[in-house]
Amino acid sequence: MRFDLTVLVPHLGFLAEGALLTALVCGLALVGGVILGMVVAIARTSSNRVVNRIAAAYVDLFRNIPFIVQLFFFYYGLPEIGIFIDAFTTGVVALSIAGGAYASDAIRAGILAIDTGILEAAEVSGLSRRTIFRRIVLPIALRTSVRPLGSVLINMILTSSVLSTITLNELTGQAKIVASDTFRPFEVYFVLLVVYAALTYLVSLGIALLHRRLNRDLSEPVG
Amino acid sequence: MLNVEQVRKTFGTVTVLDGVNLAVKPGEVVSILGSSGSGKSTLIRCINGLERLDGGRITVDDFDVSKPRELAEARKRSGTVFQLFNLYPHMTALQNITLAPIEVLKRSRAEAEDEGRALLASVGLGDRAEAYPAQLSGGQRQRVGICRALAMRPRYLLLDEVTSALDPEMTSEVLDILAKLASGGTTMLFVTHEIEFARQISDRVVFLEKGVLLVDLPTRDFFAAGGGLAQPRVAQFLSKMRKD
Ligand SMILES: Nc1ncnc2c1ncn2[C@@H]1O[C@H](COP(=O)(O)OP(=O)(O)OP(=O)(O)O)[C@@H](O)[C@H]1O
Ligand SMILES: [Mg+2]
Repeated sequence: MRFDLTVLVPHLGFLAEGALLTALVCGLALVGGVILGMVVAIARTSSNRVVNRIAAAYVDLFRNIPFIVQLFFFYYGLPEIGIFIDAFTTGVVALSIAGGAYASDAIRAGILAIDTGILEAAEVSGLSRRTIFRRIVLPIALRTSVRPLGSVLINMILTSSVLSTITLNELTGQAKIVASDTFRPFEVYFVLLVVYAALTYLVSLGIALLHRRLNRDLSEPVG
Repeated sequence: MLNVEQVRKTFGTVTVLDGVNLAVKPGEVVSILGSSGSGKSTLIRCINGLERLDGGRITVDDFDVSKPRELAEARKRSGTVFQLFNLYPHMTALQNITLAPIEVLKRSRAEAEDEGRALLASVGLGDRAEAYPAQLSGGQRQRVGICRALAMRPRYLLLDEVTSALDPEMTSEVLDILAKLASGGTTMLFVTHEIEFARQISDRVVFLEKGVLLVDLPTRDFFAAGGGLAQPRVAQFLSKMRKD
């Protein structure tokens, strides 16, 4: 068998559409996952028992069920009880919910690691709890949790390939179609491999930059 | 007036403060001495509302720290400087100083920053306003900590062993600033192990022993043979401190 990437040229536009859809779904789910992760992390570090339990239950639940099962439940299960959600929305929401469970862990660890002395200094200076949270707790927590959050985000991108199973033709979905049209699975999946690697590499690069920026006080020379 | 009346504080079965009375008048500098574990930090933490009282009352200019409604006012009137600085690591020196004036006192950013820069300049850090805590030495961090407290224009400055984490050179740079504040009329409640320094700057010295305020005397009397030194525990403490 010859390795010939030129056979894919007529399909590049089609594959690019898939890549774009993957990027869009992941972009939205990243935002959704991080916001949800923050809210849940706040809930899990709150002193309110009930709020705490609910948040912990959410995290446990969604981390202990295979993503594809969650996805099928949302997409094929819910219509049985009259709830219809289109594939795109289902994909974004399911990915956000699953990602949010992991993201909340990363953010929570960052919150718990904050030196209590710093929080006491903020408290005695008269800052409101809200202000302390927004200006001190979250920014400090994010400094330490960007890296673990990055792994969560990369996992979300990888997981998004499963969305082709609910008729959402993101990158993997499109690739499957091209593979069966051209009978050239080797070339098709080789390209797929490279594109996913590039996509996740870009994200980890972004995370590294963000980490540097949030921790710039530790990297800049003392002077 | 900062008033501590019959204050009791327990942790579980341990009584850490046992009926403490203390009054600090505006303009006064009062040092708190006492051996490790005697309850000095706990007393400071009761005054700034970080610990809940189990008995008695603390008022800062008549605002009762045990009443949630009044605590905010009480806190506006006192500023705390911590042993381990507790600066906000993600903010520059200037941001550390201006955060509370802007958020709590609703001062304009420009005004808060002007004042913050002036404060930094007054402690010899005029050129380090944009530095992050991690880029500063211990002594510099504590000077920022002092500026952060002063930026709120507190009536009472609470200081808990603010030089204990510093080496001698840095200690003296911080003590110089406190001496200046003391002579400038800043009211201070000052927990310290720097006996000589306490003697120089204080109007009064109190001695805490196992949660009880054993001695409360004008500085000169405290160190006089017939005054504080007449108390065996005080004499013992002072001679031990001088040896170290
Ligand atoms: N959160 C707490 N829980 C239980 N016990 C505590 C707590 N905080 C303080 N204590 C105890 O209260 C006593 C007084 O502590 P405190 O920190 O006020 O002493 P201190 O006079 O400041 O001592 P040092 O000179 O070592 O700073 C100690 O026996 C300490 O173990
Ligand atoms: Mg102490």
